[in-house]
Amino acid sequence: MAGWSQLPKDLLLLIAQRLNTRFDLLSLRSVCSSWHAFIPYSLHPLPSRFPILPTNGTSWGLYLSRRRILLLRLPESHCQSTTSSWLIKVEEDVPDMAHLVNPLSTFQFRHFPPNFQKKFAFSRFRVLELGQEYVLQYMNHRPSGEADEGSLHKGKVTFSCTSNGDDFVMLTIHVTGKLAMFRHGNKKLTLIDDMTSPCDDLIFFNGEFYAVDNTGRTVVVAIGSPPVLSLVADSVSGGNKKSLVESNGELLMVDTYFDRVIHSIMERAVQFKVFKLDQIRRVWVEIENLGDRILFLGEKSTFSAVASEFCGCAGNCIYYTNSFFFPCGQEDDAYTGIGIFNLENGNMDPLSSFPDYAKVIWPPPAWVYTDNIGGV
Amino acid sequence: MITLRSSDGETFDLDEVVAVELLTIKNMMEDCCADSVIPVPNVEGKILAKVIEYCKKHVKSTAMAEEHAISDADLKAWDSDFIKLDQATLFDLIMAANYLDIKSLLDLLCQTVADMIKGKSPEEIRKIFNIKNDFTPEEEKEIRRENQWAFE
Repeated sequence: MAGWSQLPKDLLLLIAQRLNTRFDLLSLRSVCSSWHAFIPYSLHPLPSRFPILPTNGTSWGLYLSRRRILLLRLPESHCQSTTSSWLIKVEEDVPDMAHLVNPLSTFQFRHFPPNFQKKFAFSRFRVLELGQEYVLQYMNHRPSGEADEGSLHKGKVTFSCTSNGDDFVMLTIHVTGKLAMFRHGNKKLTLIDDMTSPCDDLIFFNGEFYAVDNTGRTVVVAIGSPPVLSLVADSVSGGNKKSLVESNGELLMVDTYFDRVIHSIMERAVQFKVFKLDQIRRVWVEIENLGDRILFLGEKSTFSAVASEFCGCAGNCIYYTNSFFFPCGQEDDAYTGIGIFNLENGNMDPLSSFPDYAKVIWPPPAWVYTDNIGGV
Repeated sequence: MITLRSSDGETFDLDEVVAVELLTIKNMMEDCCADSVIPVPNVEGKILAKVIEYCKKHVKSTAMAEEHAISDADLKAWDSDFIKLDQATLFDLIMAANYLDIKSLLDLLCQTVADMIKGKSPEEIRKIFNIKNDFTPEEEKEIRRENQWAFE
């Protein structure tokens, strides 16, 4: 009786087409000899870091870094404790070398626990890709006089490319609050003037770019010459900063209310409201309860998770960061600036008050580097 | 009325309108065997029965008059129940759907298998589908390297 390892190549590929993440495809490739032969390795021809400007192939200039936000979990049979997940953000700069970054900020973890095996096989775990983050950085050389591009790396970046990487589009928020677009082959950014208020956030969702301005007014940006904006939702009244996040296949908006911290110029988040998109009536509708979901508002990216997969805690909360005014100095400050907002009772607490939830982020759980699971 | 015969000798009668859902059979009907029993040598009786069950249900839903039509939601629910099968049967069904060229069934089965794979480690996938790890030591090394991070 033939078994799954004898599945013909074209049928295996039909199944593989329905897998969305690189890790699922790698897992499939690692199952048995025939599957390994049938599924191609260069699944993402794009390196994690690739040049934006200049375009004439120098080793310096403006680069786009891609980071993946992943939830690592023990396979079912090995679950013994509640902290059986690890939330990480990984940047794979060159093949086989990776950096770990705080999932909610840009802080790079450099000091690993003493027993941590710097080389470890992630095929031992269940890997769920929760999102991607793009950051613009200067590599090796920062040209003077390039004021336009130099101010880019403060804003949020979203990105889309064809599957073989030969064409891409990058959308970002310019320092002036305008939307800026960069297409493969361009020499510089194109500013888009049509947003009436400064842009707060961007997201690439369901194959399209969405942008929200400071009032909550949301548009879809159709890439073209010139780019065309179409209204998707009207403004909402209330908070100070809008963020877009995908949750369970839907587009949500989070409105953050800030309060000025007394005797300083700093701001502190005091409340969040969550909205769901009503595409037909073109409005944002407030939702009171996230159910089993958790939303994460990081500095450069947003993502969501199912609470029971994340840490066994209750859902209906938002992890957020104000880390721009709580600089992270050392590993002990891995949690500094990260807070949890509970939608049910409106409580806001720093992550460090919940050691069980904090452990999901740092330090790496023991089961990650104690090799008692073994095998490929 | 068309009659199909499975690899183990079981026969199944089906209306022409159902039989044409199996494109391979449709082609055979057009080419020759319209009046006699059509052999299906690659597919066992119990699997062929399942395939026919699926086709009958899906043909019914598209052919029915408005008042008796099954809603999309109900059909989806029926499909979800239909695929609650052990992995060995799933495998046989995929091979049969491919041989008999039934696109919607093949799509449903491939999606089902993909959903079983998502987020799982290679070892878990092997357990679910009862696959042996048959890598040579050299292949194992390569796999390890592909599935590895070296942190700075």
